[in-house]
Amino acid sequence: MLSLSDLTLTESGVPHLAGISLAFRPGLTTLLGRTGAGKTTLLRAIAGLAQPTGQIRFNGEDWSRLAPWQRPVAMVTQQFINYPHLNVLDNLAFPLMRRGEAKAAARETARDMLGRVGLSQMASRRPSELSGGQQQRVAIARALVKGAPILLLDEPFVNLDYNLREGMREELSALLQASGTTVIYASTDPREALRMGDQVVLMAEGRALQSGAPRAVFAAPETLDAARVVNDPPVNLLGAAVSDTTLVLDHLGPAPRDLLPPLPPGRYTLALRAEDIRQGGSLMTRVALTEVSGSETVTHLDAGGQPLVMLERQVAEHALGSSLVVTPDFKAALIYGPDGRLIAKGGRNG
Amino acid sequence: MYRQKYIFLLPGLLVLIAVILFPLLFTIRVSFSSWDVYNPGLNNAGGAMYARMWEDARYWEALWRLSLLSVSTVLIQYVLGFALALLVWREIAARRFFRVLFLVPMMTTPVVMSVIWRTIFHESLGPLNPILNAIGIGAQPWLSQPGFAFAAVMIVEIWQWTPFMFLLLLAGLLSLPSEPYLAAKVDGAGPIRTFLSVTFPMMGAISVGAILIRAIEASKIMETVYVLTSGGPGTSTETVSYYIYIRGMRDFQIGYSAALSLTYLIIMAVALTLIAKALMRLMVRGANA
Repeated sequence: MLSLSDLTLTESGVPHLAGISLAFRPGLTTLLGRTGAGKTTLLRAIAGLAQPTGQIRFNGEDWSRLAPWQRPVAMVTQQFINYPHLNVLDNLAFPLMRRGEAKAAARETARDMLGRVGLSQMASRRPSELSGGQQQRVAIARALVKGAPILLLDEPFVNLDYNLREGMREELSALLQASGTTVIYASTDPREALRMGDQVVLMAEGRALQSGAPRAVFAAPETLDAARVVNDPPVNLLGAAVSDTTLVLDHLGPAPRDLLPPLPPGRYTLALRAEDIRQGGSLMTRVALTEVSGSETVTHLDAGGQPLVMLERQVAEHALGSSLVVTPDFKAALIYGPDGRLIAKGGRNG
Repeated sequence: MYRQKYIFLLPGLLVLIAVILFPLLFTIRVSFSSWDVYNPGLNNAGGAMYARMWEDARYWEALWRLSLLSVSTVLIQYVLGFALALLVWREIAARRFFRVLFLVPMMTTPVVMSVIWRTIFHESLGPLNPILNAIGIGAQPWLSQPGFAFAAVMIVEIWQWTPFMFLLLLAGLLSLPSEPYLAAKVDGAGPIRTFLSVTFPMMGAISVGAILIRAIEASKIMETVYVLTSGGPGTSTETVSYYIYIRGMRDFQIGYSAALSLTYLIIMAVALTLIAKALMRLMVRGANA
């Protein structure tokens, strides 16, 4: 098991890692966070390429003083990193030879791996002669051929086109199945993270916000920050003032008190996912922006100063500036207290 | 319409003919004459000058000496230049200062520096022998013994031109991509292995370029020898250029020196082509295998 204890790294006053303590078991764990959340720094720290304070232990062994080349890790980054002066076969043989394998044996193992990733025909080519997808496949194959117990994947498919990304994601999952490897996969895409990982860790501003099984984390983000990270399109946040008898939503005005479950008087934030805003009902909004992506439509709405985002599982045409009547499904709302922590789930339908 | 392009090429071609082709053809013609101080002018001596050259042991010795001097100094310059470039490649204190300091010898005039070095090597008045005496090595006959004089020429050449190698190799190092180094670290390569398996092979092409440029320049060593030793003692530091200078400019044997020059040109062209091919195989393709 790989365990991180209080990893902290600050550069020029900017905290890249802020006291991260996590444990990773064999299987695939996804680090989910926006750009700048600290995912790459965390992977670099595990690989020994960044030097945070705190402790990294693998199966009880302290890695804090181990140089990168002494750590049994493999890493793939978002750039297609290979050795430009070596052909594809020798790129794969390189880490094996560094481990002490004879050249012939290393090349034989490398040839097997090339076959598994469908690049046998490219063995004698230089990386620069390959397409972007092929170059990244070489980088992944080089990481896999090591058979390292820890595999770090830093948004490996982000620079590939959609179809290739989907294909390679499946290929990778197949290659990793039952390998017993601890795989840590950094991603900015909540759907990818929730689909791929056995576990997910939400990150923001160098902190680990929450970790757990993807479904559980998605169903109940423990903080507002976690709710922001785990949702794409962005989660709708509505301010609400609750008293014993009244409920007033910021910008939207008074609402029936029984829209929300019983709560002590105070200010709350309601988080509603984009798919929980639906067409029809009584809330008048104005269309600010419509984005059609594949078979989905994301519409940005303005409800009297309250921005809302609505997701429809269809291609919909909403003219810019036109009026649209919607219904927030308060039954699905997550309710956060003044400290930003989740205190209740669900109200009733609005 | 396309014929007009030759009109545009004409000025360049005329300059080429005037500057390169004419002197070369004229030298070929002169080499088949016995033009000297007694028989000035272009007569027809057939291959007499070439036959004389074939028998001239001093010329072939100079050529062998030049080969030894060029190969050894260029190799030492390469190793030292690479080491210095590696030293200031990464973040070290006063990196900019060292980069400029290492370039100073190259920026000085070879003749002036040879005069200064001759003073340094002077066996009774120079500062080197007292220093060697002080550290227990003892005074050395720097410019009066053949082996020492050859070493003195080597030292000055290395001192003067290592910075050039340093400059080219540093430029090469600075242009290397950083990603393979990250990969090498994660793939288990320590600093020495990274140098041997990543830096050195990736520097192959620029290394070949730097070595060839220096080899071409080193094959023309003249000023250092002229000022430092005048080819002596005896002919122990005489190089081909200096010998051709003696025959052509001092003895005014124009026809003979033309034959020597042409032969030297052909030998150098062939040798440098072979060296370039060997280096390419060894340092660019071989290093990648």
